[in-house]
Formats: sequence, structure tokens, C-alpha cells
Amino acid sequence: MPVSESLFCLELPPTMFKAFWKIVLVGAIAAILVIFYLGLSNNPRAIPSPLVGKKAQPFDAEPLVGEQRVRLQDYRGQWLVVNFWGSWCVSCVSEHRDLMQLAAISRQRGDFAIVGVDFRDTRQGAETFLKRHGNPGYAHAFDPKQKIAIDWGVYGAPESYIVSPDGKIAHKHTGPIYPGWFEKVLLPIIEGKESVETVVDGGAG
Amino acid sequence: MLKCRLEREGRGSVVWMVLTLLALLALPVEAAERVEDPTEARVREISSTLRCAVCQNQPIYESNSDLAKDMVSIIREKIQSGESDEAIRAYFHDRYGDYIYLEPTKSGANLILWIAPFAGLLLGGFGLVVAINRWRRGRIDEGVAATGEESPASPSDRRAERPASARDEAMEARLRKEIESFEES
Repeated sequence: MPVSESLFCLELPPTMFKAFWKIVLVGAIAAILVIFYLGLSNNPRAIPSPLVGKKAQPFDAEPLVGEQRVRLQDYRGQWLVVNFWGSWCVSCVSEHRDLMQLAAISRQRGDFAIVGVDFRDTRQGAETFLKRHGNPGYAHAFDPKQKIAIDWGVYGAPESYIVSPDGKIAHKHTGPIYPGWFEKVLLPIIEGKESVETVVDGGAG
Repeated sequence: MLKCRLEREGRGSVVWMVLTLLALLALPVEAAERVEDPTEARVREISSTLRCAVCQNQPIYESNSDLAKDMVSIIREKIQSGESDEAIRAYFHDRYGDYIYLEPTKSGANLILWIAPFAGLLLGGFGLVVAINRWRRGRIDEGVAATGEESPASPSDRRAERPASARDEAMEARLRKEIESFEES
């Protein structure tokens, strides 16, 4: 007697057997539909960053303006917003107003700093950008070959990272920051109301 | 006259010899130009497995986006500074996550992606075998039933129309047949 024969002669009553397969089929179709539905709200541009919770990559870069080199380690011991931008980036123009606002808050409160990384850009383009839209007053690293940007896992501009005083990336924000971003995102992290690991970005729209 | 001819022929053969030698020299040069530089081969190999973040579903090797081009040049620099292929791939994986690999890694939750299709195929095959077995058995049942009955209206109605006693008879006939075949083997 072959084994397979006894295996396939499961003696279920035919009605039960049919009902079982119906449930399986309907369940499988429902599961697929649910997954499709959930997939609809996915933003394919918002790629989750594996860097949140990890140590930020140090950099020591040429400044965009002035002589003093821009180093990440110089910002140790305070909260830091690292903003990646470029004069070629359209959303950076709309974000700039909010960055100026954030810089004003930073000066007023003094418990966090901002540093810009101008990547894949020309000096001339960036300088014109700052002249036209205003200089927020914080230092900018100049990264024409986007070495820092790739080292930080940047996909596009603008992207902002929040770095904790001990040099770990607490949060990644893809896309322009917005009015009220400080109160909504940065302040809760600084005050420790949001744990570093659970902060998940809404992503660019 | 003769001396003159020899001289002329000699000069001709020298020219031919030089030309032939030049041609021989030219061959390896041509060939060398076509062989890919080993560094470039590795650049191509690594960058073909990494996904471009801007033009999604394209390896960075084929992509024309600025980000992809700069990633390729970073790969080139890292190869030149002596890093291994795996270290370079890991560098990008650490920064961009699973997303960056065109082919998902064979570990953790990603194993589902690798195993599920084959598991599905097996399950489907199993289901098919069960189904075919059932259809075949249904046929035999009907065959046995038909010998003891007048022909019913339609095949699908047979089971329903058959009286209980006939069904028992069919079952008995089938059992007998099974026992016989069992004893034979």
C-alpha cells in the first residue's frame, strides 16, 4: 500500500470539506485585498531610515561661507538639527522661511543648534540662494560630491535629521519642515516625551 | 640590373616585414582596450545589485540620476582603498536599509519572500493532487453506481437521485474492489 494513498484519503464529510476550502479561499482573497488596501496609503518616496537610533556619521567639511570648517563633533553636547539642502531644490525655497523661523527659535532658546549641509551644489548657486532668500545665520557645510549626504543616507532634498547630545540620530524628517515643526516634532524629542526609537516620520507628501 | 632588382625586392620584403610586425603589435593593444579594468568590473558588479533611490527599480549602475552617479563613484573609491565587496554593500545597507538591495537578503523576515512562493506552489500542488484524487474517486463511484441503476438524468444529479440503498451497494462494491487490489499487491 503506497503511503500517498492513505495520506490523500482523508475521510472528511464532503460538506465539511467543501466548507473548509470555501473559508480558506475567501480568507485568502480577503487577506490579499486588505494588504492591497494598506499598500494604497504607502508613500513609495518615504523610505524608512535604518539610521534612527544609530550614531551619526561624523563629518569635517569645508564651510559654504567663511573660513572655519564645519565639524559634527563641535556640536556635541547639545541637540542638533542637520538640514540637507541645495540651491537646485525647489522645496528648499519654501522650506527656507520655516528654517529662518527655526533659527530664530534656536537663538532665543539656546538649547539646540542647526547646521546646514549644502550638497551637490555650486558655491555660486548656494551663495545666490542665501542672498535671495535670506541667511538664517547658522553654519553650512559645503558638500559638492554629496559624500556627507550619502554617508547620512540622504535620498533627496530637503531632509533633516535630529541628532541627540550624545551624537545619535533621534529622528529623520523627509521633505520640508513646516510652521510649527519645532513644537510638534523637535520639542517633544528634546524634552524626552518621545523615545528616540519610536519616532517615525510622516514622510514627504 | 640583377643587383638592382634584388635590392628592390629586398626593400619590399623589409617593408612587408615591418608592416606585419606592426600589425602584430597592434593586435594586443586592440585586445587590451576591450578588456574591462578589474576595478570597473567590480564597480559594475556591486552597483548592479544596489537600487537607485531616485529612479526606483533601477540599479544605480544603470541610473543617470546624480545620486546614483555619486554612489557609483563612492563605490569606485572604496574599491581603490581596498574594501571588500561585502563591506561596500554593507556600507550602503547600513545607511539606506533593505531598500537599497535589489534582491532582498536571505535572513530574518525577508525569508518569507524567498520561501512563500515555493510553499505556495507545494500547497497548491498538494491541493491539486487531493482534488484530482477526489474527482477520480467520484468517477469510479459513478461507474459502479451506473451498473446497478437505470441511467439517471444528468451526471451531477446522480448522487442526489440515487437512493440510500444504491449508495450502500456502490460503497460495498468499491470496498470489495479495494480489498481485492490490496490482496493482489
